[in-house]
Amino acid sequence: MTEIDVRQKVLAANAAAAEALRNAFREAGTLVVNLISSPGSGKTTLLEATARALRDRLRLGALDGDIATERDAERLRRQGIPARQILTGGACHLDARQIEKALAEENGRLSGLDVLFIENVGNLICPTSYDLGEDFKVVLLSVTEGDDKPFKYPAIFARAAVTVVTKADLLEHVDFDLDAVREQVAALNPSGTFLTTSSRTGAGMAGWFALLEKSLAGKRESLAPAVR
Amino acid sequence: MHETGLAADAYRIARDAADARGGGAIESVTLVVGELAAVEPELLAFAWEAVVAGTPDAGSRLVVEWRRATQRCAACGEIAERAPGSWLRLCPVCGDALAVTGGDELDVRSVAFEGGNA
Repeated sequence: MTEIDVRQKVLAANAAAAEALRNAFREAGTLVVNLISSPGSGKTTLLEATARALRDRLRLGALDGDIATERDAERLRRQGIPARQILTGGACHLDARQIEKALAEENGRLSGLDVLFIENVGNLICPTSYDLGEDFKVVLLSVTEGDDKPFKYPAIFARAAVTVVTKADLLEHVDFDLDAVREQVAALNPSGTFLTTSSRTGAGMAGWFALLEKSLAGKRESLAPAVR
Repeated sequence: MHETGLAADAYRIARDAADARGGGAIESVTLVVGELAAVEPELLAFAWEAVVAGTPDAGSRLVVEWRRATQRCAACGEIAERAPGSWLRLCPVCGDALAVTGGDELDVRSVAFEGGNA
């Protein structure tokens, strides 16, 4: 018997594809945001509100991962932004090659954007592992899901640069300890950003929009010396 | 359940490594899996059986080396007393904010196979 050291990342092939995407997004000056949450946390609703608020100022677009149906992409197209559905046929997450393929098939309709949103398949576990070439991950947690989720799903809350609590308009109807959630997220991710929002009432949404605009400006600024 | 895809990726890496050394059937593959890798070791082992079934490597074993994430204080060092599944926001000694390090490993560590040359 022979035993050899390998020391290779299991996700090396995905990481290589993600790096190629990241380079292309950098060259295009496009901010890419990967949204991850349980099904029904309000990813599409947050993006609908974002489209309405920012579409006149920024060129926005979206890729929507789902197991079945074109519903999410259709909802975003109705808000006037280009969106493509990626049907995973049962797979619980998006990977970098699916992003590459979808963008190529869109043939330029999703290029030259200011911000590209990738709405991942609804799932707090599997999408965590896959780098899609994004600038950062955003995890959404709706107040109806319960306030124990960050410690139950530590991987995504540790990795997402931004945590967005959604459906805050329902806080008075549910036992959801917002401070406890904030503490859990801060323990897992001390440098992360924590936002509380309601897409329905608009509460807290200004902070989300400002974060997007600031991140885009930051990315463009960091690119500036190379562009000049 | 993304463990099937991960097991298939790990198998491809392990088989390529064994082939590069002229190796025969794989006996075992050791993966390093971190606590924050979002991977369930038992599901991974189960998926491994399915992935190698019907190949010359059927019956090979997947061994998982589990790595915990650590919480560190810049002044006091690693926090030893953290209970599994629980995370501290502040250092119990000095009260400073803690940083989380490691725990995101998902690597093929080594492969054991019949024959071949080390």
